[in-house]
Amino acid sequence: MKRSWYATPYALWMLLFAVVPLVFVLWYAFTTPDGAFTLSNFAEFSKPRYAAVIIRSLKLAVYCTALCLLIGYPTAWFLAGRGLNRTQSLVVLILLPMWMNLLLRTYAMMTLLDDNGVINSALAALHLGQIKFIGTEGAVLMGLVYNYLPFMVLPIYTVLKKMDWSVIEAAEDLGANPLRVMSRVVLPMSVPGIVSGVTMVFMPAVTSFAISTLLSNGKLRLAGDLIDYIFNQSSNPNRWNIGSSFSLMMLVLILISIGFLRKVDPDNQGGGLW
Amino acid sequence: MIQDTRLIEIKGVSKSFGDTQVLHEMNLYIRKREFVTLLGPSGCGKTTLLRILGGFEMPTTGEVLFKGKDMTGIPPYKRRINTVFQKYALFNHLNVYDNIAFGLNLKKPEQLGCGSRAEMKAEIARRVTRMLKLVKMEGYEKRSTNALSGGQQQRIAIARALVNEPEVLLLDEPLGALDLKLRKEMQLELKAMQQQLGITFIYVTHDQEEALTMSDTIVVMNGGRIQQIGDPKGIYDEPKNAFVADFIGESNIIDGVMLEDDLVKFSDTEFQCVDEGFATNEPVDVVIRPEDIMIVGEDVGMLTGVVESVIFKGVHYEMMIRSGDYRWKVQSTTMQPAGTRVGMTIVPYNIHIMHKLPKEA
Repeated sequence: MKRSWYATPYALWMLLFAVVPLVFVLWYAFTTPDGAFTLSNFAEFSKPRYAAVIIRSLKLAVYCTALCLLIGYPTAWFLAGRGLNRTQSLVVLILLPMWMNLLLRTYAMMTLLDDNGVINSALAALHLGQIKFIGTEGAVLMGLVYNYLPFMVLPIYTVLKKMDWSVIEAAEDLGANPLRVMSRVVLPMSVPGIVSGVTMVFMPAVTSFAISTLLSNGKLRLAGDLIDYIFNQSSNPNRWNIGSSFSLMMLVLILISIGFLRKVDPDNQGGGLW
Repeated sequence: MIQDTRLIEIKGVSKSFGDTQVLHEMNLYIRKREFVTLLGPSGCGKTTLLRILGGFEMPTTGEVLFKGKDMTGIPPYKRRINTVFQKYALFNHLNVYDNIAFGLNLKKPEQLGCGSRAEMKAEIARRVTRMLKLVKMEGYEKRSTNALSGGQQQRIAIARALVNEPEVLLLDEPLGALDLKLRKEMQLELKAMQQQLGITFIYVTHDQEEALTMSDTIVVMNGGRIQQIGDPKGIYDEPKNAFVADFIGESNIIDGVMLEDDLVKFSDTEFQCVDEGFATNEPVDVVIRPEDIMIVGEDVGMLTGVVESVIFKGVHYEMMIRSGDYRWKVQSTTMQPAGTRVGMTIVPYNIHIMHKLPKEA
């Protein structure tokens, strides 16, 4: 039996649940409910209320990625430190949220941020007034960062951990002070990890679904929520066609960003996540 | 060549990692232009001492003087010392040229005697090219370091350190990963570079032959203590104790008793020797090199024994000869077949008498 035959179950699975649906998406995106070819589905997104969602999605995803990188890189650096004996358990602690369901994590976030939630109760007890979290972009951003931070830490940690520490000593030996060791050796050498981390955070963040609905009481939709909303618009006869065209656009957007990231890490040293 | 000025002085340096003491009260000085080798088995503390010199470790007690000034607390990037690391530690995100230029790029133009950034760039290019020539790697500027062989990577690591014109170059078993032939070539090249550039080299190795080939001075270390300091010939011919004798070259080491000055007894036989100043009847280690034992007729030998095995080693034969309860290792250009009874003689100045090592060392 040829080796490739062992992949038959997977191939069938993919054919049935990925390839066929994609063909449907393509078909619906370029047709009217009557089956005639059209590009008008894409024109829907020039409507301000749809365009705003796309812009908000992109904006929040970029902010989220940047915040994750700012918080995640120092964390990964700390975890990869060689003086640390307890690292293994610390790594587990940081990655623990990854093992929990996204919705559970978001509900936990809601409990914290709610008008009558943990934070506001504490503030009230201290007579410090209230802060409105739920319904703001800030709360959604917090939810996104909270959910996707481990995906930034892990690949960077892996790259830093693998790095030969004598390289750092070599840089010091050649006259680099700690700041320059960081900027000229450590950072450039960890680019593959950063690229992986950015990909792993940006892609799910830009298409994230449910997080923002939950943290804004349905007021702030992101791209994922919008697709969900369109498909469920029972009064709209075009809902499948418009929803499909929107899905397709998100797919293209992601492919473009991957193509861009691939340029930064051409050797795919970050673990080959795509 | 070697100037009689003390460039580095190591004074009473001890180092402990937790409960383990790896260096005990080291005292040593290194002169300008000297090629010093720290030689010893793994775990003897030689790399730790080198790392203290490089600034990567701090001594627990004691101080290190550089040109008379204490440099104990100075970080590596402020020392005029460069290191060639055991595993090369090249920057694999940079090409060969940028690896070598790394140290120079961190300097200010005036430090390289240049008035502007552009001038500095040209100066760096000039120096890198000169280094590539020195290590015989011209034309490799644009190569990625990942595409180089071990020997080539080592050359780049050496060039990367030397281009900064350090006063001292530290080398941590730099040839350990290379094959024998390449290693021997590099030994000679390194020695030639050291003489050409007039830089002090401090070289760490566990390979006694490498130490003998390259060094002006060998520091034999064991268990975190200096066993002997001397030039290669002195260390080989006059090892100070049984450890040095055993570690440098091959030796027969046998228990003996010093009967009086110039007279020692071992293998139930009295031998004339040239060592004095031992206590009467002091137990001693007697060291005799395998090449210093002459095989003679059974009836005229000082000792007699039976050849147990013969191995052809190229230049000579190595025979194991049992005499009493000791097996002598004897090297000779003529072969006696196994089973032969032979006599052995040793001339007085080839018998080396050593005080017994303290038990704990």
